[in-house]
Amino acid sequence: MKPTVPAETSVSGKSRRGVVWTRRGMLGLQGVSAGEIRLILEKARALSPVANRPETRTGELAGRTVATLFFEDSTRTKTSFALAARRMSAEVIDLPMGTSSVNKGETLVDTARTVEAMGVSALVVRARQSGAAEMIAGAVKCAVFNAGDGKHEHPTQGLLDAYTIAEAHGRLEDFDLSGLTVAIVGDVVSSRVARSGIAALGALGARVVCSGPPGMAPASLASLGCAVTNDFDSVIGAADVVMMLRIQFERQEEGKGGVAEGKGPEAKARMSGIVSVHEYRELYGLTRERAGRMKKGSVVMHPGPMNRGIEIDGEVADGERSVVLRQVANGVAVRMAALGVCGVGTV
Amino acid sequence: MGNVLISGGRVLDPASGLDKEADVAIRDGRIAAIGRDLSTADARVIQARGKLVVPGLIDPHVHLREPGQEHKETLATGSAAAVSGGFTTVCCMPNTTPALDSPEMVGFIETRARQTAACRIFAVGAATKGRKGEELAEIQLMAKAGAVGFSDDGDCIASAGMMLRVLAAVKQTGLAFQQHCQEPTLTKGSSMHAGEVSIRLGLTGWPRVAEELIIERDVRLNRAIGCRYHVQHISSGESVEIVRRARAAGQPVSAEASPHHLLLTHEACDGYNTSAKMNPPLRERSDVEALRRGVADGTITVLATDHAPHSADEKALPFEEAPFGIVGLETALPLYAEALIHTGLIDWPRMIALMTIEPARLCGLDRAGLGQLKVGGPGDVTVIDPEAEWTIRAADFPGKSRNTPFEGRKVKGRAIATVVGGIVRHGAGLQAN
Repeated sequence: MKPTVPAETSVSGKSRRGVVWTRRGMLGLQGVSAGEIRLILEKARALSPVANRPETRTGELAGRTVATLFFEDSTRTKTSFALAARRMSAEVIDLPMGTSSVNKGETLVDTARTVEAMGVSALVVRARQSGAAEMIAGAVKCAVFNAGDGKHEHPTQGLLDAYTIAEAHGRLEDFDLSGLTVAIVGDVVSSRVARSGIAALGALGARVVCSGPPGMAPASLASLGCAVTNDFDSVIGAADVVMMLRIQFERQEEGKGGVAEGKGPEAKARMSGIVSVHEYRELYGLTRERAGRMKKGSVVMHPGPMNRGIEIDGEVADGERSVVLRQVANGVAVRMAALGVCGVGTV
Repeated sequence: MGNVLISGGRVLDPASGLDKEADVAIRDGRIAAIGRDLSTADARVIQARGKLVVPGLIDPHVHLREPGQEHKETLATGSAAAVSGGFTTVCCMPNTTPALDSPEMVGFIETRARQTAACRIFAVGAATKGRKGEELAEIQLMAKAGAVGFSDDGDCIASAGMMLRVLAAVKQTGLAFQQHCQEPTLTKGSSMHAGEVSIRLGLTGWPRVAEELIIERDVRLNRAIGCRYHVQHISSGESVEIVRRARAAGQPVSAEASPHHLLLTHEACDGYNTSAKMNPPLRERSDVEALRRGVADGTITVLATDHAPHSADEKALPFEEAPFGIVGLETALPLYAEALIHTGLIDWPRMIALMTIEPARLCGLDRAGLGQLKVGGPGDVTVIDPEAEWTIRAADFPGKSRNTPFEGRKVKGRAIATVVGGIVRHGAGLQAN
């Protein structure tokens, strides 16, 4: 694919293997090499002893300002990025965009340029439109970090998922995930978490199998380099990692026959493109019963927020296989590493 | 006024099979003679040695945005774009605001064109009121008012019941119904072709079958009616096969292809390039090849640009929010040549037929002598330099909008003079006699 970067100007990270991160900011993981991914994961490993301790700081981004520009609501990703920047000693400003700027008619690009003009080193952007981060990166000079653009990518989530899998399976030394099978289950076709995950995990050697109902896990996903099955039960016993995706009840999906009539959970379910909560849970939910068929040593992941009792049973989410909170914890270290490696320090 | 002598060119008139070196004399806006060593008093002379002298080109499918969206284009600017590309006649689609869905609106276009336009402009009337697909528009009265075809272009007539009524009504006029083939429940939220690129970019895909299904359905609905049925901007290779079969079965079915569908694929959308966002979407290499074969074997008989101007601000929106469409009038001729002639699929006479007599027949304009070079007929002539090499620069377009995916492309072939009713509307290096 074409490079998802506006300019190859900044070289601020270098690994012992001599790999460098040549992109400014981070827009996506599709097309990014295993060497570049490992560069960030190695830095995250080095930072992890301090990443989740409130009393520690590294001085790496002292004097820099990171702005979080979220056009779509998010709590965890924004908080994680903000903590990561602060623990690198950067100043953080949050621009609570919500939908207000859209209502006033300002374009994404104008908003981003306005914020940049106030003097920031990096923009952390989330928007509901696929391609939004790339579009903004093409219009500003500072580094842009994609914190989720529509159905396209969520690269730091992909990296923290890769890190968490490496941690759970004893691969932190070399971040080589070969031999591992990762099942990604749910509305894969609409998932930016899945796109970034498939790219990162595939690059690191894992075998990725996507599963969900045909409308959510169509065979055409295979062009991303993963396997696809609509039979979750056929992979549950073979997976070393089962990554459940959130059913997005809040988002009315176009093109899946979603209908917006009626109220209550079943109407919401239809809006999100599933037949019924009951059928979805029966076929694609990570129920206690299904989790019982997972193989020894395998782990359960979820990017959150979870719909307990729908795509994942509470008992499984809180159970011994769950590394959901490790994902959250590792997210800070990975985002610190990403900010440090990918160009914030050079503006 | 209205006297022009086009001297020494290769005169091509596909309608009559004429292909020889000759002069063309235009007097009082009409073709006075075609022959050797002609001279006309008070005529502007266009030296055409080594050039092609052809009937004025006709584009049966353009969007001129007037009335309602004059910030994108007007009849004046759109016709300026047309003559710069060699077109002497264009047919504008009815998706204006308000829609061209009444004899009064058809009359408005005729009046405005006469007042402001550099070329001939005819209106394609909406088949249903407001293009909503719910109630029939006054099709008979629009035909009497000068409409040259019917279409809800921009939208498909999705209801089979309504389609049946439209076909019966248009049949009565003798004109063609032109379908925008898009089954809407299959394309909800879609912004590009369903394939590897849409999967990679996280954009909702637009499957080929949304087009194929409508053509199949309409061909079947039309069997008992026999209305002239035309497929607009065909995009899928399988659609070409459906049209081929229908034509082989003797049904009155035709199809048009656009320059972009004959040249570009969905890869052009990479990087969320809104200049490559169009309806129907750019598809895959196999579709491009199938469309070209369709032109070569006579399945696709009309070339049409679907000229769709949009402002830069509108095209600067995120991909899914940006409008569909690209401009085409300024660049069509060399792009068709690149896809069809330089590949060896057809020759110049055939390509000129696809841009003159064939669209004239589609729109009933052949009866007025358009699309052909005939003594006594309208003095609409285009002179083409098939060897002229140039680079497409949107900044130089005379139209109002710049939305083209072909910026910077090196092309070959250009209209060097466009004569409309004996008036030279475009042309460099002209000499007074």
